[in-house]
Amino acid sequence: MSSLAIECRDVKKTYGEGVTAYQALKGVDFVAEPGEFVMLSGPSGSGKTTLLSILGCVLTASNGLVKLFDQDISRAEESDLPGLRLSYVGFVFQAHNLLASLTATENIGMLLELRGYSAKAAKAEAHKLLGEVGLADKFESKPGDLSGGQRQRVAIARALAGAPPILLADEPTAALDAHNGLAVTETLRALARDHGHTVVVVTHDNRIFHLADRIVHIEDGLIVEKP
Amino acid sequence: MSAGESVASTPVAPVAPVAPARRDPEPSKTKKIAQPIRSRAGFFARFRTMARTGVRMMFHDWLKMSGTMLGVVFAVVLSNQQLGTFLGLLYKNVMIVRNTSADIWILPPGAETTQGGKIVPYSAILAARTAPGVAAAEPLVFQTATVTLPGGGQEPVNLVGVASPDYMGGPWNVVAGKKEMLARPDTMIFEDSERETLGGLNLGSVREVNGRKITVGGFTWGLIPFGPSYAFADFELARELTKLPRDRANFGLVRLEPGADPQKVKAELKSRLADADLMTRAEFERAIVKNVLTKTPIGITFGTSTLFGLIVGFVIVSLSMFSSVVDNIREFGTLKAIGAKTSDLAMLLFVQSVIYGVLGSIIGLFLVSRMAAGIRSAKLALNLPPQLTGGTVLVMVLMCIMASSLALLRIRKVEPAMVFR
Repeated sequence: MSSLAIECRDVKKTYGEGVTAYQALKGVDFVAEPGEFVMLSGPSGSGKTTLLSILGCVLTASNGLVKLFDQDISRAEESDLPGLRLSYVGFVFQAHNLLASLTATENIGMLLELRGYSAKAAKAEAHKLLGEVGLADKFESKPGDLSGGQRQRVAIARALAGAPPILLADEPTAALDAHNGLAVTETLRALARDHGHTVVVVTHDNRIFHLADRIVHIEDGLIVEKP
Repeated sequence: MSAGESVASTPVAPVAPVAPARRDPEPSKTKKIAQPIRSRAGFFARFRTMARTGVRMMFHDWLKMSGTMLGVVFAVVLSNQQLGTFLGLLYKNVMIVRNTSADIWILPPGAETTQGGKIVPYSAILAARTAPGVAAAEPLVFQTATVTLPGGGQEPVNLVGVASPDYMGGPWNVVAGKKEMLARPDTMIFEDSERETLGGLNLGSVREVNGRKITVGGFTWGLIPFGPSYAFADFELARELTKLPRDRANFGLVRLEPGADPQKVKAELKSRLADADLMTRAEFERAIVKNVLTKTPIGITFGTSTLFGLIVGFVIVSLSMFSSVVDNIREFGTLKAIGAKTSDLAMLLFVQSVIYGVLGSIIGLFLVSRMAAGIRSAKLALNLPPQLTGGTVLVMVLMCIMASSLALLRIRKVEPAMVFR
């Protein structure tokens, strides 16, 4: 059994067909070990988000091999992707993407319930997660009542719901000030270092690069790894 | 294994508090590794989760919810007002059949309604009395008569001649006097709401009916068919007023003995009565309704209006729900991205549709009931039977579910990758 959490070999992704076809990834090799904290950086349009989407089972690769914890997801059917996402991935989005009509507890609890928690257990676990990201007093707050940093922390707590092995974060600090951005990144790093989550962060933010175990640069659909 | 039990076996990593992190060049070889999550919610648990989310989303956007609800309420009010009026008109046509205590009607050959002035031989009624299972058989006069007004002019009435002492053919809904007054000489019972029309009638008033002086012995309420109001007289008086021969009647009314089978008695009567048709009460009602639906424009007119109300409601609900999905498209994309399937989101829409259908029906039916109470009169009464109420809720829920299909089509096209853009 491989010891890799993520394994991509010669991954290609092409959008569209014929003369309008656009190749976003041109043969990417990328691996991440369990508990590793990796940052993906690169200019806009370089293919970072496409790679993140493939790792998150949101998109499928056009060619190549993609494995998560030894499970080959390269040829997964469209209908299997939601289940794979529930099994492996927690997402932190740039714009937090919390449901405005749900409280912080409900935003997290809903995902826990989809992952098999009873309503009661989901609520208790959501409270625990919110407490651990410093929002013990915001259980019943809706996203509209929270600051940007607080929303992003709720989003992190939601990403951790059920403890998925892989956390994928897309520009998690883009909408935050320097202090909050650093705090969020440190939280993600602690999750990788102390609790064995494999964390992949797409970012342009060079203020947080120093926290990464490894920084992977993508340019024009190809990886240029830097030490 | 229940969801709760599966949770117990799922390793849930505690999350570190927000605290300064430091680079760890030599990670511990023994640190734990988060593992794939294998537990899943079952169908009912997913349904419950999506139902709750759907309800929250509905009530979060009050304006949109009100707009959608308005569509359902509109459809309920318009369709019920039209159907209620239609059923009210149908009732006017069958009210005498429904309110007599006759189980079987002896009809002139070919008769499909109570109208027409055709006749049956009185001997048919006498023959019916001797048939097994028959408790009573009485003649009925049903013809148009004319009331001469005190100030000149005339008004028509539907004269119903009923035989004492049973008065099987009415009157009913007697609000002044009593039906036994018909046993008095030259006495009739008229419709209360037509008192002014008939020249200011009161108990004891005298009017000329078909040229004969008649005393008012009582009043009924609401007995106005699809035409002039009913006026009741003793059979013999009615026969004389209409100059019906002594050996004739317009209909025969048969009441069965307790426990007698109407179809068996009808078959027996059929073998005895060659010059008359026979129908049970239910059959006669159906025949009248069929006649109204196929030989008058009432059915198509009200049917079109009802359909129009449903179509407009459908369009409003459909567009409102579609618009709601478009407004919240990013949230639906997020739900998909974190693991919800299209079928989960269909459950969410389903629950919203049911709530829209039920709540909209309740509000709409309340408004219709108030409207019906407001316009209720002896001449026009919306007929809103319980079946119509139950059917309305069912139809509205189905309408909302169908209307949500447009929104579901949009949701199906939502790509979870949109959340990264």
